[in-house]
Amino acid sequence: MAQNIKILPGATVCEDCTLEGDITIGGGTVVHPRVTIIAEGGPIIIAEYCIIEEYSTIIHKKSDKQENPPKPLFIGAHNVFEVGCKLESPFGHIGESNVFECKSYVGVDVKIGSGCVIGAACQLTVPQSLPDNTVIWGSEHHNREALEKQPSQLLQLDFLSKVMPNYHRLRKPNLHKRQPSRPSQEGAKV
Amino acid sequence: MAYLTQPDFVRYVCSCGQLKPITNLYFCRHCLKIRCGFCICHEVDSHYCANCLENMPSSEARLKKNRCSSCFDCPSCFHTLSTRATFAQTRQDPAAGDAKVENKQAKKMYYLSCFNCRWTSRDVGIPDQPVASGGWPERPNPFSARINQLLDYYKAIAQQEKQEKLDRERKKFAIRGKYITLTDKTGLTGAMARNIAGLPSSESSSSAIANFVPSVASAEVEELPEDYHLREINLKQVTTMAQRLASPEWQPASVARLHPVARPLSVKRSQRCRACDHNLTKPEYNPGSIKFKIELLAFYHMPEVKIISHESVKPGQQSALLLKVSNPTSHEMALRLLPPDHQAETETDETTETHEKNEPKSIEKSLEKSLNLEKDTTWSKVIERKPQMPALSQICIPEVTLTLAQRDDAAEYDDDPQHDTSDIILWRKSNKLALRLKVSTDPSAEVGQPAQVALSLQYSYRNTVPPSAQSAQHRDHTLTTTVLLDLGTVCE
Repeated sequence: MAQNIKILPGATVCEDCTLEGDITIGGGTVVHPRVTIIAEGGPIIIAEYCIIEEYSTIIHKKSDKQENPPKPLFIGAHNVFEVGCKLESPFGHIGESNVFECKSYVGVDVKIGSGCVIGAACQLTVPQSLPDNTVIWGSEHHNREALEKQPSQLLQLDFLSKVMPNYHRLRKPNLHKRQPSRPSQEGAKV
Repeated sequence: MAYLTQPDFVRYVCSCGQLKPITNLYFCRHCLKIRCGFCICHEVDSHYCANCLENMPSSEARLKKNRCSSCFDCPSCFHTLSTRATFAQTRQDPAAGDAKVENKQAKKMYYLSCFNCRWTSRDVGIPDQPVASGGWPERPNPFSARINQLLDYYKAIAQQEKQEKLDRERKKFAIRGKYITLTDKTGLTGAMARNIAGLPSSESSSSAIANFVPSVASAEVEELPEDYHLREINLKQVTTMAQRLASPEWQPASVARLHPVARPLSVKRSQRCRACDHNLTKPEYNPGSIKFKIELLAFYHMPEVKIISHESVKPGQQSALLLKVSNPTSHEMALRLLPPDHQAETETDETTETHEKNEPKSIEKSLEKSLNLEKDTTWSKVIERKPQMPALSQICIPEVTLTLAQRDDAAEYDDDPQHDTSDIILWRKSNKLALRLKVSTDPSAEVGQPAQVALSLQYSYRNTVPPSAQSAQHRDHTLTTTVLLDLGTVCE
């Protein structure tokens, strides 16, 4: 598989993680150690200010009805992938400000809007599309609609990008582009 | 073998006939009997909130409807809500201009949020609060007037019934006067006399009873809207049954009407033996503490039986069974294995005896304090039942008396098993003993049926209760208990 990993300036990507295929990681995003990102079906583009925690796995699965050239998996800004979550979506688009809680699983053919929360250990395997601000929780997969998007984790991001270089070897940003614009999200100081 | 999540493979027979794992049983040191949650008296010691650990006297708890005033549960998923802080810019009046510069300072505002389902108090439009705890708007109960009316009514009725009972008792013992009163002579009762005189009858003197209007069921109901069955419903906007029942006063039908639920209080409870009125468990008063002042668990007083392993039970065959027996007491224990029927016989004898003994006592007591709730001994007959003993499989009982050493915490460090093994003792280690037994199964046992086997243990027990002055109790007892072992299912 062709290794083509683009890390934009401002991103914090630990060396101890598995990155395979054509992957772009946006500025401000923090990738913890032991993360697996595999782009076998097509490129994966991760936007700015995402947090990808330990043992989470993002795979762009190969499928038979692949378009040519393959459609990229685009993951919007401010997404949080908590410890041990797994995302196998070749669907092409994940919105922004979603939270994938610990040990959650999002299978193929699941389309995710913005501001969604996949609760801890929730498994989405059936083809479906989640409208914006859907919250799924519990062993019975209750769901409800939140009124507003989940508050962004900017404080946590600031802290992580400051602390992470002290304890881990980082991959160097290899793409020099214009500085990503500061986000103008409300409730940024939460 | 008592696990938290697995089925109970070893169950003991309680003195009331229930089958429970040893972890759910109590041992009354005064009656020397096994007790379980089913046959003991549960008492509420104190009310407290499990979230903020605040103690509350029972009168205050009743006043607050057994709910904490500062903690809330999520109306959506019933998890405890947490308070979150935000810095909110106080909104400035455009007309005021820069008159109030201090107002520009960020002010801390608080809202409630659920970490499980991410419900927030903002979702239903509850304004943020300037203080961290308390001050949340309370939604008034639309039926509070009616509920208070009903409460008053029933209180008045209770009062009246009490009064009537007292009157009746007084009448019973009232000494008839020498003189015949006018009412007696004419057959006119007090109520009739009052009725004739046009006075209100004494029975319905309370205004709460007089003014009470019973509710009337009406056949007319509001018509449903035209499009009720045609309208497309958004299930995310409709509350679930559990969500509605969590707040019975409002029973919100729409998600937008959910309101934080005040957290129900928990109780600390002490348990008491019904036969001798001694405490079996008594928790410490402090809600933060999980310790007990009195803790008479069967686990500390009776030999504990665990199944190490067993061969599968087959009809008409013998199978090996390895058991581990341990002695939790600090005294040496002599142990004999008995067939289960032995225990049942002795127990029935004992219970009839105790019943005979108890009866004159209770009569005495009831004479002594007739108005108080005297001890009712009928409960034991009501709840007592005989456990179904398995008959198809039997343990071949060896005729030996085994000794079990006392529990010694230091013995754990000396890992040298004593080698006095015999044909039934597999190994021995401080206060533990592994037994090799044989289970014989009847040829008529059906394949697929649960295989169970019962066993009685006769063990010596040294009572550690300081003997009381009047009754010279002997300290050493021989007790029996029956255990039921679950050996899976009968195989082919």
